[in-house]
Amino acid sequence: MLNRIFGLETEYGLLINQDRPEYSPSWLAHRIRDQVFHIERRGVLDLHHRGHDEPPGNGGFLTNAGRIYLDMGHLEYASPECGSLTDLVASDRAGDQLVQSAVQGAGLADHVSLIKNNIDHETDATFGCHENYLVTRRFPFSRRGLSPLVSFLVTRQVFTGAGRVGAAATPDGWVQVGVGQAILHRPGLRDARTRTVLPFQISQRADHIVNDFFEWVQQNRSIINTRDEPLADPNQYRRIHLLCGDSNMAEYATALKMGTTGLVLQLIEDGHEPKGLEIGEPVEALQDISRDQERQWLVTLASGKTISALDIQERFLDAVQQHYKGQDEETDWVLEQWEQVLTDLRGDYAKLVGRVDWASKLWLLETFREAEQVGWDDPMLKSLDLEYHNLHPERGLYYGLLDEGRVPRVTTDKAIELAQEHPPRNTRAFGRGEVVRHLLVCGPGVETQAPSEEHRFLPDYVINWSVLQLRGRPPFLMADPFKTYVQEVRAYVGGNL
Amino acid sequence: MNSITGFDRKERPFDPMPKPTSPSEEGGGPKRPETGSPDKDNLLKRMRKVDPKQAERYRQRTGQ
Repeated sequence: MLNRIFGLETEYGLLINQDRPEYSPSWLAHRIRDQVFHIERRGVLDLHHRGHDEPPGNGGFLTNAGRIYLDMGHLEYASPECGSLTDLVASDRAGDQLVQSAVQGAGLADHVSLIKNNIDHETDATFGCHENYLVTRRFPFSRRGLSPLVSFLVTRQVFTGAGRVGAAATPDGWVQVGVGQAILHRPGLRDARTRTVLPFQISQRADHIVNDFFEWVQQNRSIINTRDEPLADPNQYRRIHLLCGDSNMAEYATALKMGTTGLVLQLIEDGHEPKGLEIGEPVEALQDISRDQERQWLVTLASGKTISALDIQERFLDAVQQHYKGQDEETDWVLEQWEQVLTDLRGDYAKLVGRVDWASKLWLLETFREAEQVGWDDPMLKSLDLEYHNLHPERGLYYGLLDEGRVPRVTTDKAIELAQEHPPRNTRAFGRGEVVRHLLVCGPGVETQAPSEEHRFLPDYVINWSVLQLRGRPPFLMADPFKTYVQEVRAYVGGNL
Repeated sequence: MNSITGFDRKERPFDPMPKPTSPSEEGGGPKRPETGSPDKDNLLKRMRKVDPKQAERYRQRTGQ
């Protein structure tokens, strides 16, 4: 898909198996990170403070130019900047395999399972799968300009949702930090008595989104995160950062989620978005759609009109078809699959097994319920829900469907293997990957002269998304994610720039 | 926005994106699940191995 940079950030859950109750998820996250960087030498750890919660050694960049790090106790992988859906899906799956390989390499596979989901049924903890889309600075980043994106995001869950058993408790735990200060939501204060009895819903994150626009990412999660952090030239670019989506196991769902969203952003950038689709109460609608047991997915628009989520999606699909059909091969793939999925969603959900995660999970759970004659209140169903997301290929239920030939692929095992080590070759990830590889092979290098006063206390290297620096040399800016910088980077690490 | 079409992509992992294929080669997505099919038995076998208590032990911290 031309003129778009995509990225995905995934926080993994860590399930400790019964025989090692002394392990903690946080301790295991440290072990896995250390395996990746110290034993397998997949990248280089940061030597500098990246922020108050990222001290030196907390994480680092990989040879594929993505990152593995610890974030609030969670193991997290951020993909490199990708210029196509093919690269994105391969890079996302590469992250899954990197961490799973590290678990196995550390001899922990019998003790811990990596769970690529977004919720804890028991504690109502949630953790994210964040999407990143680079747009021009001209993008209308205002409440009015973003309104079509809200309508799209609220309704896209019908094919992007990962599904879950049950529901989170009603978010009633609000605390005021101080007199006249912010009111914060505290998930830990939720009262279990307020928990809605619900067999199954199509989205994991819907229950945890409590605002339409907000800049924080942990409390008061919003449909659209408004933090302005382009990680690129701020005069040219803005990064649309979304945290309302679920982690997808299905490659197809990942590609469709990112592809449709990228095209809707293009509609908005070009002023071609469909009109009159503003949703009256988007946060309520997000949860209502997710929880609708009849799967009618009705939404009330600001105009008072009632319309289904599928109809809203079809309006966006029509607009994209009208303006961008034939734009490139990936756009046409997205259009074809988007249309097919919306058509299939009007029929038996089982037809979506393998393509849409919530449908796959629901079908598995119904299959189990029928075979074992158990009700939705059986605790085994929550455990099966988790197991759908288990990254162990011989245990995870998603991989069970894959083994049975029920899951269409949009990448290959070979591409995923390659993406574990190599960055995409048409974004600045290429240049960053060169630096990481250089540091792994050669180290930071020997300084030919004593460092200047200003460089004396700098670490040997600093790598960030848009800048890097080797000690004794000036910072090297990579402000344009569309440029590879590879020749310049090679000259820089060679001391010739 | 700059064009990205001019760059060499010798090691590009995958290009172009293939259309998703059905295992049955029938197109239009995977086959509809059928009751009592052998693959359902394999999946049930995998599901029955799951520890019923694991959701209680998951105990994750809230992230972002």
